[in-house]
Amino acid sequence: MIKTTLSSLWISQVMRGGRLALVAVLLLNATPVLAVDLLDDASYESVPGEMVADPIEPLNRAFFAFNDTFYLWVLDPVASGYSMILPEDIRGCVDNFFYNLAEPVRAVNCLLQGRISDSGIVLTRFVINSVFGVFGLADAAAHEFKLDPVHAAFGETLAVWGVGDGLYLVVPFFGPSTARDFLGVGVDTFAMTTYYPWRDDDMTLVSLAIAQRVNTTSLHLGEYQDMKSMSFDPYIAFRSGYFQMRSKRRQHGQPVDEAQLGN
Amino acid sequence: MLFSTIKKALFFFTFFLFACNLPGGEKAFASPDPTEQFKPFLEKVVGNLADPALKKLSKKEQAAHMIKVVKERFDFTEMSKRVLNPKWRELSAQEQNEFQDLFTQLLQFVYVGKIEDYSGQKVQFTQQRMRGPRAEVQTELVDANRSIAISYLLKLENGQWMAYDVVVEGMSLVRNYREEFIKIITNDGYSQLVKQIQSKVNELEKQYTEK
Repeated sequence: MIKTTLSSLWISQVMRGGRLALVAVLLLNATPVLAVDLLDDASYESVPGEMVADPIEPLNRAFFAFNDTFYLWVLDPVASGYSMILPEDIRGCVDNFFYNLAEPVRAVNCLLQGRISDSGIVLTRFVINSVFGVFGLADAAAHEFKLDPVHAAFGETLAVWGVGDGLYLVVPFFGPSTARDFLGVGVDTFAMTTYYPWRDDDMTLVSLAIAQRVNTTSLHLGEYQDMKSMSFDPYIAFRSGYFQMRSKRRQHGQPVDEAQLGN
Repeated sequence: MLFSTIKKALFFFTFFLFACNLPGGEKAFASPDPTEQFKPFLEKVVGNLADPALKKLSKKEQAAHMIKVVKERFDFTEMSKRVLNPKWRELSAQEQNEFQDLFTQLLQFVYVGKIEDYSGQKVQFTQQRMRGPRAEVQTELVDANRSIAISYLLKLENGQWMAYDVVVEGMSLVRNYREEFIKIITNDGYSQLVKQIQSKVNELEKQYTEK
């Protein structure tokens, strides 16, 4: 309850500051960032907007190798051990809890992108899950109210505002991103820490970030290894995979179905 | 005060949009229903993955068995064509056949891995959409804790919907390999690509027999 009040306070603060920007976006009539229709053969050619420049490939490859070692030798063993201690249900709840904490930031990003209805869904989800899902431990909104999670991040907001990706970036300890999106991650993370109940203690913030990372990894054990073992050049495979997954995540709603239009 | 007004407006707007999204209209043209054709097939695949008898076979036999089941509704020629496009057109018929065999062998291991991982997940059919002779059947692979979105892209061939790509959480199998293959062809040539796929198949074979 306290958390809810805190975050609504925070939202109203942000909204006051961001109102000008919001109006600007609405006036500009924000267009969807990427629309890739997989049924279109063009989606098999290079998709413009998805091909982000990779001018620092050698450096990125070095970081990719570093992350690979870090994952295989540190993160994966720790997460495997952790997964043996805690059953999957509980790890799922932990995941939900962290996801729910970030909902206010998602709601604001939706607004800033001009996605008013999505913002309403995110806020409704946040309220339902915080109350009926016991502080977000369960995703009651998705299971009982059919309100599926909605994706929104500041990187996407910047994209809607016309900021380009810049370049592809493999960030140590973090993974694939782009200059713009990684900046967005920074902004989102900072925004979240302003209303976290434990925001005053840096040690707690860092420990919880690590805990969250280990928990998330424990729910996806083996996936990295599987994909790596099936690919010829993992660097390329993960780069391509990153952009494909990102464009799916940012494709809110379905591409138009010709059959439904009656063509 | 202002905030609560905005919130109310948001809710109203949300529900309005929901109402607009209600399903409407019948399909405009009469081709066989993709989901209707694809559903029994996927159920068969899952049935096979869950079959305890299969787990007793050697990995090589498992792979051969699964690929036989999968071939029923997967068009490996179309997949090979797409994964190699535009190089495919330059190849002779024999080279095309060889490539297709090799690529199919590689894909076997995708399914062998799935036999090991399978732990009772259910397939739910969420949606389908059609665009001329193409269709996308969207499914969710669900277990108690999570669900993975898997889409099958189908092409109508002689009244049969055949799959030419699998898209897992937005990641297309064909597009992923295509990007890797193009890079190898541009850097080292087509013959090197064939060599690399061959050695990958050998490596995976070895990896699975050792287990």
